[in-house]
Amino acid sequence: MTEADAHLDLDLDLEFDREDLDGERPVPSLGSPVLVVDDLHVVFRVLGAKSKSATDAGAHVQEASPRRQSLLKRLVTSGSRHVGAVSEVHAVRGVSMVVRHGESVGIVGVNGSGKSTMLRAIAGLIPPTEGSVHAAGEPALLGVNAALMPQLSGERNIMIGGLALGLTQKQVEERYDEVVDFADIGEFVNLPMKTYSSGMGARLRFAISSAARPDILMVDEALATGDAAFRERSRARIEEIRKDAGTVFLVSHSIGTVEAMCTRVIWLHQGKIVMDGSTDEVVPEYQKFVRAHKRTKSGGRAGGVGPRARKKRNGGKGDKPVG
Amino acid sequence: MTTPTTAGAAAEARPKPPQPPEPIEFDLTSEERLALAEQNGLTRMGVRPPLWSYIRDVIRHWQFIRVLGASTAYSKNQNNYLGQLWAVLNPFLNAIIYVVIFGLVLGASRGVANTVAFIVMGTFMFRFIDTSVHGGARSIASKSSLLRNLHFPRAVMPISEVYSQLATLIPALGVMVVMVLLSGFIPAYEPVRVTWWWTLFPLAIVLLWIFNMGLAFIVARVTAATPDMDNIISFVLRLAMFASGAIFPITRFVDKLPPSAEWFGMVMEYQPGHVYLYLGRSMIMQEKTIPPDLTMWYWGIGWAIFTFALGFIVFWRGEEKYGRD
Repeated sequence: MTEADAHLDLDLDLEFDREDLDGERPVPSLGSPVLVVDDLHVVFRVLGAKSKSATDAGAHVQEASPRRQSLLKRLVTSGSRHVGAVSEVHAVRGVSMVVRHGESVGIVGVNGSGKSTMLRAIAGLIPPTEGSVHAAGEPALLGVNAALMPQLSGERNIMIGGLALGLTQKQVEERYDEVVDFADIGEFVNLPMKTYSSGMGARLRFAISSAARPDILMVDEALATGDAAFRERSRARIEEIRKDAGTVFLVSHSIGTVEAMCTRVIWLHQGKIVMDGSTDEVVPEYQKFVRAHKRTKSGGRAGGVGPRARKKRNGGKGDKPVG
Repeated sequence: MTTPTTAGAAAEARPKPPQPPEPIEFDLTSEERLALAEQNGLTRMGVRPPLWSYIRDVIRHWQFIRVLGASTAYSKNQNNYLGQLWAVLNPFLNAIIYVVIFGLVLGASRGVANTVAFIVMGTFMFRFIDTSVHGGARSIASKSSLLRNLHFPRAVMPISEVYSQLATLIPALGVMVVMVLLSGFIPAYEPVRVTWWWTLFPLAIVLLWIFNMGLAFIVARVTAATPDMDNIISFVLRLAMFASGAIFPITRFVDKLPPSAEWFGMVMEYQPGHVYLYLGRSMIMQEKTIPPDLTMWYWGIGWAIFTFALGFIVFWRGEEKYGRD
């Protein structure tokens, strides 16, 4: 499993959602550092997959040749000596940053650039292979990818999710109605989550994970799901949490969202930071890159492998090079 | 719309993908950043907490363990028409097969007065060890989405897994007791009586539960590092089942050992699997060869505490590594 499964369905073609631009961009009031990331590396070990298939799965690659370890080391660490079946995906390759209180940081980059992995590593959910992350308080990840237990009812999932977030049983019961209302799933709350439509599942997961109020908030693609009404509600919810938390990380494919909500933008490419600066500085450069990328319509290596992108490509000029 | 600088390149017949800027150089050195972190009292993420605060953290998540364990137990039999009935049907059918093959066909349990009760108790109780070890081994991998998205001490996973096995065991134990009682009505056997010893049976199960958690911790750590171990565990468990005397008494075999191999007999007799099956049987059945024995209780308590403590520490020492793959 790699981080790539987190957002395979999103395309590179960014339609800048203007609807998200209505809100006021928060004014930065910089405080003391609340998060220090020092030379962070994350390497995934992929068993039973050659590096080729890891590439196809969307994990960024190209010149990122997996670090070869000695045969003995591989034997010891993996125990699996099925010829060539152990490969490594170097998803985050040396990221450093200092984030201060009051900043909201947007993270942009094409699919498979290591955004989600980096976010999880910063949140302390994926242990770093090298380097370290220092934070004030406990960062919490607000995501829609946390399929808790699909075979259980929404009700059980709310309880499990809430308890895992550190709430007590009583607190979860108190917020239960609020969560169900926010997710807008009605009677479905008593059915197993695997019977939900993808939109309902995403809404419920978002509602569960936003039930707690963290010190540092990390939002992963949460604004990309649901209909316009839900997006508006979740935007408001994040804004509310942001006011309490003070520091927000936002991974989004919608440039509009990043522009509207972030004071600082970090552009990741193949696991490295290629730009880090104010929103006005980074976003135009990134847009330029994405547009150029779109225009070349080169194969699906770095992204654009979704059905939407494919349709667009075929509908456009027919002279695109394949692969 | 501004004209991108790469427009010229795009107009070519075979355009090249644009290149992003080179990775930036960071303006602070690693030492400066670490100093900054220390100045502001930031705590390092993704490192193993000290043992005591880890224990406190696990205890704080007790409700989570309970709900997760109960939900896992429930969800296991949810996709069948008979639903939760399978929680008791499974061990029941399992016991019947062993009784038929080993008790009746092979006659492997010679030297035991009530063969049926002997095998039924052996298979039901050993099944608890078996499922706990298997569940513990998969507890990290099977819920990786939970690990990837939420913070909690990872020891919660094996504990809740064994808890879910306990939750399935308790109704099954009811069936087991009924089967043992009914076996007393077989003409060749003496009737099974309900005695005061029965009240100590739950204590034997609690000790076994604690012991199983210890085992689950150990296999969870091993399997998280080396998934292949999951396959080997099945074989080890099958061997352990026979070595623990789940089907036929090991005393028959141990008594035949030459004096020079007496130590081996001791090992077989006081190894945890045999100890717990002995404790269970000596409380419920009235076998002359399995009398209630205080020494066995000491061994049972000792194994439970030792294995749990060892397992917990082994698991804790890998805390920062879980959830990477």
